[in-house]
Amino acid sequence: MGRKKRKNTQRFTGRMQKKLTVLFLLIVVAFGILSVRLYAINRDNGEEYKKQVLSQQEYDSKALPAKRGEIIDCNGTKIAVSQKVYNVCIDAKTLNGKDAQFLDSTLNALYDSAIEFVYTREDLRRYIMSNPTSQYRVIAKKQPYDNVSELMEKLNNKAQYPDIKGVWLENTYQRTYPYGSLACDVIGFVQGDNEGAYGLEEYYNSTLNGTDGREYGYLNDDENLERTIKSPDNGKTLVTSLDVNIQSIVEKHILAFNKEHENEYREGNGSKNTAVIIMKPDSGEILAMASYPVYDLNDPRNTDGLDIVVDEEYSTQGIVNISADDSGDSGENGDEEKPEAEDTESQNGDPAEGESQTQEEGSENNKSFTAPAGSREKQAMDGEEGEAQDESGEAEEKNDGPMTYEEAYEAAKMEALNSLWKNFCINSTYEPGSTYKPFTMAAGLEEGILTGNESFNCQGVKEVGDHQIHCNNRMGHGILDFSGALEQSCNVAFMDIGARIGKSVFMKYNRLYNFGLKTNIDLTGEALTNTLVFDEETMVPTDLAISSFGQGFNVTMIQMITGFCSLINGGYYYQPHIVTKILNDDGATIKTIEPRVLKQTVSEETSAKIVELCNNVVSKGTGKSARPAGYRIGGKTGTAEKYPRKRGNYLVSFMGFAPADDPQIVIYTVVDEPNVPTQASARYATLLTRDILTEVLPYMHVFMTEELSEDEKAQLSEAQLTFAQSSDKSLSENGIVSENEVNTDAAGGESEAPADEQTESVITFEEGEEEKREFEMDPETGYPIDPETGAILDPETGQPLDANISDLE
Amino acid sequence: MSNTGVRRRSKANRDKAFFDYSMLFIVIFLVCFGLVMLYSVSSYESVLHFGDSAYYFKKQAQSTLFGFVMMFVVMMLDYHIWQKLAIPAYVVSAVLILLVLTPLGYEVNGARRWLNVGISLQPAEVAKVGMIIFFAGHVCKMGKSIQTLKGVVKTLLLGVPISFMVLTITDNLSTAIIIFGIIFMMVFVATPNYKEYFIIGGGVVGIAAIFVMLVKKGVLTSEQSYRFGRIEAWLNPEAYAGTTGFQTLQALYALGSGEIFGKGLGQSMQKLGFVPEAQNDMVFSIICEELGLFGAAVVLMMFLMLIWRFLVVANNAEDMYGALLVVGVMAHISLQVILNVAVVTNLIPNTGITLPFISYGGSAVVFLLIEIGLVFSVARRIRLRNSTE
Repeated sequence: MGRKKRKNTQRFTGRMQKKLTVLFLLIVVAFGILSVRLYAINRDNGEEYKKQVLSQQEYDSKALPAKRGEIIDCNGTKIAVSQKVYNVCIDAKTLNGKDAQFLDSTLNALYDSAIEFVYTREDLRRYIMSNPTSQYRVIAKKQPYDNVSELMEKLNNKAQYPDIKGVWLENTYQRTYPYGSLACDVIGFVQGDNEGAYGLEEYYNSTLNGTDGREYGYLNDDENLERTIKSPDNGKTLVTSLDVNIQSIVEKHILAFNKEHENEYREGNGSKNTAVIIMKPDSGEILAMASYPVYDLNDPRNTDGLDIVVDEEYSTQGIVNISADDSGDSGENGDEEKPEAEDTESQNGDPAEGESQTQEEGSENNKSFTAPAGSREKQAMDGEEGEAQDESGEAEEKNDGPMTYEEAYEAAKMEALNSLWKNFCINSTYEPGSTYKPFTMAAGLEEGILTGNESFNCQGVKEVGDHQIHCNNRMGHGILDFSGALEQSCNVAFMDIGARIGKSVFMKYNRLYNFGLKTNIDLTGEALTNTLVFDEETMVPTDLAISSFGQGFNVTMIQMITGFCSLINGGYYYQPHIVTKILNDDGATIKTIEPRVLKQTVSEETSAKIVELCNNVVSKGTGKSARPAGYRIGGKTGTAEKYPRKRGNYLVSFMGFAPADDPQIVIYTVVDEPNVPTQASARYATLLTRDILTEVLPYMHVFMTEELSEDEKAQLSEAQLTFAQSSDKSLSENGIVSENEVNTDAAGGESEAPADEQTESVITFEEGEEEKREFEMDPETGYPIDPETGAILDPETGQPLDANISDLE
Repeated sequence: MSNTGVRRRSKANRDKAFFDYSMLFIVIFLVCFGLVMLYSVSSYESVLHFGDSAYYFKKQAQSTLFGFVMMFVVMMLDYHIWQKLAIPAYVVSAVLILLVLTPLGYEVNGARRWLNVGISLQPAEVAKVGMIIFFAGHVCKMGKSIQTLKGVVKTLLLGVPISFMVLTITDNLSTAIIIFGIIFMMVFVATPNYKEYFIIGGGVVGIAAIFVMLVKKGVLTSEQSYRFGRIEAWLNPEAYAGTTGFQTLQALYALGSGEIFGKGLGQSMQKLGFVPEAQNDMVFSIICEELGLFGAAVVLMMFLMLIWRFLVVANNAEDMYGALLVVGVMAHISLQVILNVAVVTNLIPNTGITLPFISYGGSAVVFLLIEIGLVFSVARRIRLRNSTE
């Protein structure tokens, strides 16, 4: 080692070589230490670290949302659809990382796009800075594709936009209802996590929902992580028997009726409730089902226009404040805090007095609310936040006692919303009144107790037990034949009938018509009426007397109309239903729901007799005003006095079918407490029915059979302009009339084919000017019209068809 | 240590030019191995951020090619020209570091350490080469006076300004330590004494220990400096698993889960976003995970062999200047390897030192290859003794 260099330059001496060797040895020692350390880590912690590595892999992870199925009507019109929308999420931790150098570039990219954010840019920046550990925050919800497409492109193009970080998009689906409030009670809405509420959305929730897919990772045999995707199983589509056009017609007229009578007698809607069901008697399919008031399915929690009655004692002031505040709230878009200054302003004159007074009342009276008068406004303003407890300790002390004003307001709001959401047609029970009379009659006829030849003597009152029960006509109807009893809706006559058939027969049929039981229609929330009907054991003669004309027991609309369908269709009790088919995601039918006959209520003979009697009611009796011009229909009116009696509150109704001889649809119209001075008139229901049928029957290709009076012609020509326009669209969806058959005699017979497939020929349609007018408006029929005479030309011969009135009757 | 690999040069005869093929092989092996590992480690991140799995690989391969060209250029030059450029090397190093403060400087990952002069350049890497050239020349110039304590202290103090600039201007403690370490080792080799160095070394360790104790007692916390936070995380990485200890802990998981032969090349799970900067400081942990203890041992052996080649070249250098150049390079590479592996195995706090030839870094690989070129140019002057002598 001690070798020397001989040169004029400096040498790397042996001593230096020695030191370098020492240095090298030190390095070797260091390498040795590192190697030992490496080995030790593997030996001591190897197993633990191995598990740790495996455990922190993401095996679980992402749910891929399934698309909720659609709801379509019988013509394929979409009533409820799910749209793909996007949530924008951020990872504040990533954005804060590396000195937040990507924060601004990312914010720029976000706020340059069309996305509607929950936060302003500054608020979001503040949120990110103050939550450095947050890794998931949704900053924009349910954005349509158009809004996020720009951002999506940037995110997918990392090479060009490397400085956008910590942002990603989540897929989800948004439920939308293209027709807004149409059929809201039937459809229901979706809340929270794809959970249907009310109506079809709730009843068929699991069918509609589908199964979420999942993206997950797992370790294969070699302990390599593999990821796999189980794609979501989208929800099924419901095809309903509803017809959007009929439904629209019905709702239009209900609305018009309520607008007409709005604030007429008292403040508020035109009626407490107005509801209509249109059903096919030969299948139990519901064509339309509507009640009033309605709500927007796209915004079911909107309380605008709702009467939220908190407490009488707070009367006008409270309500006015609330509604004012409420509308403000909805416009405010969820700003969380209101300036404190506002409540000092709203303090009114007598805080001390009001406070002590209300407090006393509060401890005594459960119904009153103990918030001091002065704080009412403030608490109402805080509204939903539920934090208005700052009225000193008193508020807390009172917690187990009566509610605070704001709680009461919340409760009242929920109550109002719940009653808005529920479906009157299946949910509410009431005494049916005279529309029950055909049921009573049918029971007597079916049992042979009545022959149809009886006559009755009405003196205006009948004494049953100790009670004097009056007829609707206090002067008495005098002598009535069997048909006249129903035509005049004579209570005395029906009390006689009731007495004759006896309570056991009455109750047997009452149960046979399914009263007291559910119809099991495929909607959520059907009311159970088993405690609301009489029990044969405990029934006294008075009960029998009043129930023979439909008072004293409760029914639902769906029970009434379903039972009535069986009375007029030959006695077949069909289970009412709305969904006719279930389709899978690709549109293939996976289930067809056929009409289901549950039982036979009456014989065909009895049924035919009831049809005839009901036709008489419209042609001669109380139901005259329900007849749409040009048609013959049958039906029965009802004017039920509500309980408690003698308050002047009535539920008026009309149960009808059309056409008279071959019922294709049954319509049941109920007006609960019309907002008029004298409610006890079935005209409110019959006129509404007439208006609806005037439009629905032509739409359904039911042709006029009656001669029109001059007045009717004038009315129709006026109305046709409007409904012809609206039916244009619907007819195009309904297909073209393809068969011509002369429908001369449709009476009585039960038709094998469903009513909507029966196609009527124009040849039956030959009554005069009006038909042609309508015909003109209806290009789908395809028949040429002579512009000069207005006569219909036969497409094959080119000759005008004989315009003489054919004698169908 | 006997130098069996190299036959002694003959002063009189210029029989045969020496070329150190073993070293060339080792360097090529390390560089290629480094590229393979870099591709394996960085592909996931590359796809995620750049949409191209070879993004890092391509950039590194370009730098490596350029580095090889530079290596051969430097190799062909007579290394004595660097002796004349000692002062300029010092000045250039200092000026480049200062340039970071000008608009030419730019930040990556929150640290302002880079210059954009047509190509991106890390001045600290230049400074390492600059210091090796300067101090080799400076020690030679001092002659005998280096052997006094005063000479040693004066020499070491000359290294302080550059180290201090690296520490403060580029906020890069690890490079400052390495630069000072290189100087320290060069002076150590050039002077006859041992005691002083062990005292200084012991003193540095002692001061570090005091800091560690203070951190442990909670006197110094991460609120005062992030470096104390790193010491906290070093002492107890599990307690800071979510924050400062995350990288260390994840690297340990990777390193500990590899067993003897590892999960196989490309099979690392920890590189999938768990070990931050896996392609930089923590590449060794992924090597351990994929290739196991065996792979790690091979890498360390290759480095050790490289260092041994440096020893051989230095000991046979034509003159002291050449030898000192090689000592500087040897100090540089061995320090970085040791500190990097020590960080990965959590023997010292996390400092951000890269593994030579393997970690991602364009400037680093170019200047490392230039240093290798220096060593080759020294080796070329070695004259082989005629075997028949």
